[in-house]
Formats: sequence, structure tokens, C-alpha cells
Amino acid sequence: MCVHLVTNSSLASGVDVFQNAVFAIHSLPFLPVIEWLFIFLPIIFHAVVGIWIARSGHSNLNRYRLAGNRRYTWQRITGYIAFVFIFTHVFHLHGWFHADWWLKTVAEPIGMAQFDPYNAASSLANAMNSLGILWPIFYALGVLACVFHLANGIWTAGITWGLWLTPNAQARASYVCLGFGILLGLVGLTATGAATRTDPAAAKATEDQMYKVRVEGLMIKPNEHKRTDGRRHGHSSEASPGPTLIIPQAVTGSR
Amino acid sequence: MIAAGPEATSKRRPSKINVRVLRQDGPGLPPYWERHQVEYEPDMNVISVLQKIAAQARTSEGNAVAPVAWDCGCLEEVCGSCTMVINGRVRQSCSALVDRLLEDHPEEIELRPMTKFPVIRDLMVDRSRLFHSLKRVKAWVPVDGYFDMGAGPRISRDEQEQNYPLSQCMSCGCCLEACPQFNKVELQRNPGESDEEFAARKEAAYSVEFVGPHAISQAVLFNSHPVGKNLERERMEALTSSGGVQACGNAQNCVAVCPKEIPLTTSIARAGRAATVYAFKKLFDR
Repeated sequence: MCVHLVTNSSLASGVDVFQNAVFAIHSLPFLPVIEWLFIFLPIIFHAVVGIWIARSGHSNLNRYRLAGNRRYTWQRITGYIAFVFIFTHVFHLHGWFHADWWLKTVAEPIGMAQFDPYNAASSLANAMNSLGILWPIFYALGVLACVFHLANGIWTAGITWGLWLTPNAQARASYVCLGFGILLGLVGLTATGAATRTDPAAAKATEDQMYKVRVEGLMIKPNEHKRTDGRRHGHSSEASPGPTLIIPQAVTGSR
Repeated sequence: MIAAGPEATSKRRPSKINVRVLRQDGPGLPPYWERHQVEYEPDMNVISVLQKIAAQARTSEGNAVAPVAWDCGCLEEVCGSCTMVINGRVRQSCSALVDRLLEDHPEEIELRPMTKFPVIRDLMVDRSRLFHSLKRVKAWVPVDGYFDMGAGPRISRDEQEQNYPLSQCMSCGCCLEACPQFNKVELQRNPGESDEEFAARKEAAYSVEFVGPHAISQAVLFNSHPVGKNLERERMEALTSSGGVQACGNAQNCVAVCPKEIPLTTSIARAGRAATVYAFKKLFDR
């Protein structure tokens, strides 16, 4: 989550910085395996166990209005928010599954699966601004809930695993977690703000230029599936097979 | 106003005290509120109020009722048996002084049984699960036998200071009442079920639920005892199985309500550390 938010906040430094970060991630080998093994499956596991844990307790905050009890209750509330947020967020931008029939008949018609990795900033900006102010608010709240859940979760995990023992030690750890949470919260809001304010048309021109240079320089393999032109407009227009075929030939020809 | 002595407070002392009691005629029956009124006397505690209520056995409307039942023993906050929820806070009724209660809430005193244990009658609850938890973590020193084992090993001053507060636990149940992870388990006797069968069914139900902060703290206490250590592995096995230390949600209500100010959350963290080490040992030592 830290890597994810920091990467996203790089959009605040420029469309090119963010696009380069996305290229770097997409240059990892076996990306779907990494996604499922280290991101999706752990999140699904955490969601299942988390809901089971949250249902094993009954908040009594109305009777015991104590700081620790407040954090206990909010840890569960933010957990539920994070659950809804993360699954919606992955659906909104990623689409959950790569299968074409799923993307074309289910996800895209209802405004989901909106992110194109090789047009990262422009497709993100379009997705964020597709429902007025609704998506930015949803993302800001969701990110803040996740950040609280992580920061407070590190603190409680430190007790459960026996890292900090005494009330003094726990208070010190609590300050460290608070500082970490505020920092990560700012990073997350920076990312949300930058995604919302990016101008899609200008961003797309930069991205397409970067894509072209990368392909010509043999830094990436051409992949229209990861581009806005290839995915969204290409399928409806007849010229779509054109660029996908021409570029590989140009690449092989230059070798 | 804060430093008010007897003279200053006497002006506000009422001649009558209103008491609202949540009554229940027996296990599993519906609870109901009942109002009582007793004569004020100086230096009363909730037990003496309950004695008066039982003696007059009459509601404030004048209806004759069965005396309110409650539990008590030592009357000096060391046995834990008179624990109940007084004005919304769990505490011992013997050390709940009426003058203090009226300062905070002059209109009435509200008494209700603890909500996490099955009610036997009125303010009396069945705390057997609390003691069952102590059995689960073997909260004792194993010294069975008639032979002289000689002098025990010396315990350092540091360790004494760490252990003494834990030894003050009186098994009252306050920590369990305030804990959001400790849920009520109440079973009804099946038709034709014997005492033994019912007790076995209850124990089986208790055995998978959260042991509670008091039992975790006692496990930590006996694991640091030179002879009690002999059962350390069995205690850690209990604390890492279903309902063990991992079931704690770190709300830290227990330490806030403990009448003996036992550092329960420190014990939980110590038990957590021991559980981490134990889990690694179990995986890699054998």
C-alpha cells in the first residue's frame, strides 16, 4: 500500500514521472503472478479473516468512551470501508479480470476497468472525473480509511505480537504510528488530488510520445491492450489491427 | 466545590434515595426494571442500599415484591463476588459509596447485573466461565505431593515487583464485562439433561471462546514463577489455540476498568511475545 500510494503521488511531479513509474512496474516479469500472489490473494485473505474477526467482537463504545475503545471500533469501521473501497477501486480501474469477454460485456459498459497502464495519467484522470465529484470523494475517504487501518493496525499488531509491552512503550509506538499515518495520509491525498486535476488531453500526448520512444528503443514490447487507443477506440474502428502489426515489424526490421 | 467536606455536601443530601434495579426472576427469563426508594443514611454503600431494599421488599409504588437478590462476600473489594453494573460502569458494589454516586448522579442509582454472564436471578450472575478460563490456562503452581521439595529458587526484586500486581487479581469479571471481544455464552438446559451433561456442554462451549484478559494475565504470572514455569508449554498451547491471546482486539478497556489497576494490557503484550516465540519454537525446534 505504501509503494502504491507513493507511486501514485508521483503524478504530482508530472505525467512523465508517473508514466515512467508505471512502465517500471509493467516491466516486471510475470506481472499477473506477482499481482495475484503478493497483492490480490493477500488482500482477499485479509478481507475474509478481517470480516471474521470484526464479527467476533461487539463494540461497546456507547458505554465505555475510552481512547483505546474508540480506536478498536474505528479499526473495524475502517476495515469495512477499506473492504468496499479496495474491491470497488480494483474493479473501477483494473476490472478484476483480464478476460476480454468480461471487460467488454460487463466491466466497461458500467464504467469500470478504466485504467490503461501505457496511458496511465490520462486514463486515470478520465476515470476520476467521470462522475463529477463522486469518485474523488470516494477515493479520498477510502484512502484515509485504509491509512488509518494500516497505521492503527501496525500499533495493535505490535501488541499482539509482543513488540511493545508497557503502557509507556505502547504510547511511544502510538506516536510513531500516528506520524506514519499522517505522512501516508498526505501522500494518499496528494495522489488523489493529482489524479483529479490532471488534464487528460495533454497527458495523453506525452504518454503516446513516451510509448512510441520506448517501443522504438526496444525498452518495451508493443502492447495495444495496455493503451487507450488500442483498447477503447481501436476495437470500434477498423484501423485497429494496423498499428499493432506495423510496430512489431518495424521493431524486428530494425534488428 | 471540589474540596467539599461533609458540611458542604450535607446540604445536597436527600432524605430518600431512588434506586432502579434491572431484575430477572430466573435464568433465561425476560429482565424488567423496578424502582425502589430507601431512607438515606450517611456513609452507605450499594450493599447497604441493597440490604434495605431486600428488607422492605416493596417498590417505590408500594407494591410488595420478592426481595432483590445479589451476591457479596468480603465487603472490602477483595473477593469480587459483588461485581455489578452501577450507573453504567462495572464495579464492586461494596466499594461503590452512595455519597459519591449521588454527587455524580443525584436523581437515582441504577443497578444491573453484568451483561457478559448468564443471570441466575436479579443481580446474581453465573461466573463459572471466568473460573473455567483459569483452568484452561492452568493458573496454578503444580506442587502435588507430600515430600519436602526444599527451599524454592530466589525471585529477584524486579520480578517480584512485576508479579505482585498480577497476583492481586480477585477474579471479579470487570475486565470481561468491559471487553468487546468477550461475548456472553448462555446455554439453556435441554429437557432430560443431567447436571453432568449440562456442565460438560457448557465447558465445551466455553473452551473455544476468548479466555479473557484475567486468564492471560494469570498465565503470565504463573509462567514467571520458578515452579509454575513447569506448565509453561501447556499454558502457551492454551493461549495460542482458539480463543487465546490472538482473540484480543486491543481495545484496552480491561485495564481501564480493573479495580485493582492490574497492568492487564502489559500482560497481554507479554503473552503475545511469548506466543510468538512459542509458535516459532513449535514450528522449528522439533
